[in-house]
Amino acid sequence: MAEQQVNITDLEPAQLQEVKKQLDQELEHLTNSYSQLKQAQTKFRSCVENVSSLSPASKGKEVLIPFTSSLYVPGKLTDVENVVVDVGTGYYVKKNKAEATEHYTSKTNFVQGNLETLQKTIERKQENVQSVMQVLQMKMQQQQQAGAVQA
Amino acid sequence: MSDPKVAAVQAQLQTQSVAFQKLEAELAGIIEARQRLDSQQAENEQVLKEFTLLKSHNTVYKLVGPSLVPQDSNEAKVNVEKRLEFIKSEIKRVEAQLKEGEEKAAKKKNEIIALQQQFQGLQGPSGPQQAVKA
Repeated sequence: MAEQQVNITDLEPAQLQEVKKQLDQELEHLTNSYSQLKQAQTKFRSCVENVSSLSPASKGKEVLIPFTSSLYVPGKLTDVENVVVDVGTGYYVKKNKAEATEHYTSKTNFVQGNLETLQKTIERKQENVQSVMQVLQMKMQQQQQAGAVQA
Repeated sequence: MSDPKVAAVQAQLQTQSVAFQKLEAELAGIIEARQRLDSQQAENEQVLKEFTLLKSHNTVYKLVGPSLVPQDSNEAKVNVEKRLEFIKSEIKRVEAQLKEGEEKAAKKKNEIIALQQQFQGLQGPSGPQQAVKA
């Protein structure tokens, strides 16, 4: 849809309120996305830690493997060099520890880049909301003064 | 004398507005489908990138139900490539739908604007007349 350039000082207070509502909605959506990305990043970071916690000394140690959330079976760690990594769309790849760490670190960095661009977008939107608010307040005051003069 | 005319235009305006709203809803659905395809494409591209970097010791597994089944890495790669192709053609199809929907909505909008003008034109002269009568 073609978006027209509109000067916000030309708008009526009611229209400005609509604009503000829309901006608020966009802002909420963006901040939601931001926190979701942040969560994903934390998850990737903890994956890096988990991989590094799998040390050669753990070989042969007993672990409990969850079958379901309430059923566990005992097992032994036989392979402490390789892990299986979820690469998306139902595919998993067996990687050694160094590769897995690299995979998760690059994911973390990828998300970091997105977070930064998102942060900038959010800041811009906040500025927009503020300028709309300022104009709105100005208009309201003008209206009140005009009303006072008429009365 | 202009009353039945006004009513007719008003009724037309009503049905057209409803039709316009329906078109808008359809458009929203198409846009959502488009976004879903976009994220699917991005995810599959990531997987394909991952597959191109595989070495011989990197076994590929596919999640089948609750278990991981080993897969031939070339087969998996071809599979993802096929999926990407499919997604691309779907995007093309949805793009076309989107364009068509937008054109329809724009046309409907113009029709509504024309009707509104007609409505105002009918009301304009009849307004003062009624005022005089009263």
